Amino acid sequence: MVDHFLLLVVQAALIAVFFAFLWKRDGRERLRYLLKVFAALVLGAVALAWLMYPFPRP
Amino acid sequence: MATVPENARTTKGPAALPRPALMVAAWLVPGLGHFLLGRKLRAAVFSAVIVVGFVLGLALHGELILPRAGEPLSYLAAVATLGNGVLFLLATLLGLGEGVVTAASYEYGNAFLLTAGMMNLLLVLDVHDIVVGRKE
Repeated sequence: MVDHFLLLVVQAALIAVFFAFLWKRDGRERLRYLLKVFAALVLGAVALAWLMYPFPRP
Repeated sequence: MATVPENARTTKGPAALPRPALMVAAWLVPGLGHFLLGRKLRAAVFSAVIVVGFVLGLALHGELILPRAGEPLSYLAAVATLGNGVLFLLATLLGLGEGVVTAASYEYGNAFLLTAGMMNLLLVLDVHDIVVGRKE
């Protein structure tokens, strides 16, 4: 069985690492940015899922 | 006094290729553009992230989407798919990436494959910016 949340976390981690290395040069700044992007993606997805919860599925 | 070209100041590698060649290299092999510019750590990280994303996408039964008549969005998806460069070519040659629509992970697989391609295309633009001196 595929754990959708785990896949979401993996996807968010890959994207966060990518953008941290793309935009930031300093190690500490990079780590901070990575955590920020990762948290934004995971928490944003969960928040969006909650907001969509009341909408009926076709 | 001779002036140093912008490219020479931003290129750490021993051999500087022309800009179009670097951009093609960056597109074909994830991370190669940065490697050729001497950004070895970034090259390794970018390469790992994109290859892992692409392989996960295939493992999750994602589809390497190509243009389909009557489906305008498939053209956009095809751009992202082709962005994977040699990974896309290899997977196609090996008969992978057909996609299993009925698999529970199909959409996730697609998301991984498409983001890997888009990230690689961003790397091509990044290589361009480094070469012209807009970015370090």
